[in-house]
Amino acid sequence: MIHAEAPALEIVNLRKNYRRLEALRGVDFVLERGERLAFLGPNGAGKTTLIRALAGRTRPTAGTIKVLGHPIHSIGARQALGLVPQDLALYGDLTTRENLFAFGKFHGVPRRELKKRVAWALDWTGLKDRAGDLVAGFSGGMKRRVNLACGVLHRPKIILLDEPTVGVDPQSRQRIFTMLDQLNEEGASILLTTHHLDEAEQRSDRIVILDQGRVIADGTIDELVLSTVGHSRLVKVRIDRPLVAPVTVPGGGSVRSYQVGIAGREMIETRIEDVAVELAPFLQAVRKDGYMVSDMEVHAPSLHHVFLHLTGNELRD
Amino acid sequence: MHISLRRLLHNRVELLLTFVVPIAFFSVFALIFGKGIGSGTTPKVKVVVVDEIQSPVSTAIVDSLRDSAGLRLMHDEADDQALTSDKASEMVRHGSVTIAIVLKGDQADAIRAELLADASDQVAGQVVSALVGRELVLAKTRQASRTRQAAAMRQTTVRRPPVDASPVRPSGEIAESLSDPSELVQIVDVIGEDKANPVVSMYAAGIAVMFLLFGATGGGGVLLDERENTTLDRLLSTELTMDQLLLGKWFYLTALGFVQVCVMFLWGQFAFGVDLQGHLDGFVMMTLVTSSAAAAFGLFLATLCKTRGQLNGLSVILILTMSALGGSMVPRYVMSERMRELGLWTFNAWALDGYDKVFWRDLPVEALSPQLAVLMIAAVAFLLVARALAIRWEFD
Repeated sequence: MIHAEAPALEIVNLRKNYRRLEALRGVDFVLERGERLAFLGPNGAGKTTLIRALAGRTRPTAGTIKVLGHPIHSIGARQALGLVPQDLALYGDLTTRENLFAFGKFHGVPRRELKKRVAWALDWTGLKDRAGDLVAGFSGGMKRRVNLACGVLHRPKIILLDEPTVGVDPQSRQRIFTMLDQLNEEGASILLTTHHLDEAEQRSDRIVILDQGRVIADGTIDELVLSTVGHSRLVKVRIDRPLVAPVTVPGGGSVRSYQVGIAGREMIETRIEDVAVELAPFLQAVRKDGYMVSDMEVHAPSLHHVFLHLTGNELRD
Repeated sequence: MHISLRRLLHNRVELLLTFVVPIAFFSVFALIFGKGIGSGTTPKVKVVVVDEIQSPVSTAIVDSLRDSAGLRLMHDEADDQALTSDKASEMVRHGSVTIAIVLKGDQADAIRAELLADASDQVAGQVVSALVGRELVLAKTRQASRTRQAAAMRQTTVRRPPVDASPVRPSGEIAESLSDPSELVQIVDVIGEDKANPVVSMYAAGIAVMFLLFGATGGGGVLLDERENTTLDRLLSTELTMDQLLLGKWFYLTALGFVQVCVMFLWGQFAFGVDLQGHLDGFVMMTLVTSSAAAAFGLFLATLCKTRGQLNGLSVILILTMSALGGSMVPRYVMSERMRELGLWTFNAWALDGYDKVFWRDLPVEALSPQLAVLMIAAVAFLLVARALAIRWEFD
């Protein structure tokens, strides 16, 4: 029996140790039904370990995973999950149709339904005219689409995608996300790991950031921005000559006066809370000190800033 | 050149194939030939002797043969006496002995020997023929010498001087004058005489078993490919279990091997006259069991290795060694006793013995029981070990 009220996935205190290495150190989060959740983290954060644990491919050292309210190893849990691995786990020496038939069978799609599902997948991936071609000869984007289709032939309620768009061009990426949106509209919950922060920002309802085996942030993009870098804008102004001394921007109202810029540089950077109120006094102060503004950029806070704010700038591998 | 050398040094498997495999292979052949026919210590040929004459002379010949370094009499004296020519022929046909020596007398009281031989052992017939011929000539020489001595005694008794007595000749000359050894010994092929192309089936089986093993390890290697490109992970995240996966691959490799050998023997029948239709039941049983054992062996090796490269190296070493020891490359009858015993640890020896019984000896399928049993046990054992080794791939 499936609990109507239970979330699609419920992960509580999930731990995984590989000898001395703690890959997951007590991960907790929930994937709601019909939700699109992006799982972010630097290399080695534990994303793939988590996906493998969710797909039943690794045994957690501790903690619980519930799929639609049932333990992960219960009957039906596996059928509810569809895994799309990071690597192209396909048979290159089989045709598109043969790959789809093979994975459909492995996923337990009934024989009478399999033909229809394969026809649907060929249509869905836009590879109907390449159904009889060997997958080995396909472009990266086409292989990714077949890779995706092979994981969802059995109509899983939860789709786990481990970097589904790695190494593909923008057109293919767009197509893949359109395909995922279709599945989501049909009710599937989607959990994807990615390094493309713009994808995560635009294509997910919620974001979970994992670092060093722990969840360090969980929320919508607005919630994450607010709780980390705030809504201040980054303003960059290029001037006509190197700065002799920092520029003093006069205060007014609730804003105090402040200094911007570093002597010797031709670029001034600062953060302002309210563009409408603070931008004009800032530019006036620059001009007043005798500099001409040759260019200007205003950056809204993004997931990129949040991510770097939370995980730092140091290399992880 | 520098880059090629550096790459070779970084690749352990290639190093192994370049330097260790030739040495290992050379060693196997050195052992086969060094302690077999090449060393001058020809392995003892299993024989039985049927003494149809039962005279003191024939008994002396049997005793001499028993003491011969090149022969191993498989029956004691009492049994030999009871043995008939037909029974001995049957023993050769079943492979219990390689040659039956039948001592016969002719009207002129000369002792002749008929060697009931298994022509598949092309060395044994010549060896035994030479040994028996020598004994027969020596016996005849002794007999002639005794006859002459008796005549001389009679002449001495009547005190009559010899009128035309020949001078005493060395025994070799006497022997030559008495008869040529090749005239005294006749080799009768009791197995292959009525066969159109008897030896081809033996070589077909040898090659077939070797390629079955290569095919099975290659097929088993697909498992490692699937592991390396993460397809295995994906498969195991579906409803498929490791048991189903391994059994599926085992069935497939068995079926493929079966078809492969069938095609080969069909070609043998078409092109070289191998009598496949006449031995269909035994052939099917042997091929099915050999294919299943080879398939299990291939999966065992695949699960034992970590990478496809490792598997390639290991399988080349093992299969070539097993084929050399087991008789796929060199007939086992040229090997020493020890090497033959060692060969029984290989697939090839058991499989080839089975095919030998089917195609060469025309034995009924019941006679295949030992070979079928050993190969089936090997198949089950390898499959179980492969399953145990594959546990590490099920979960991290």
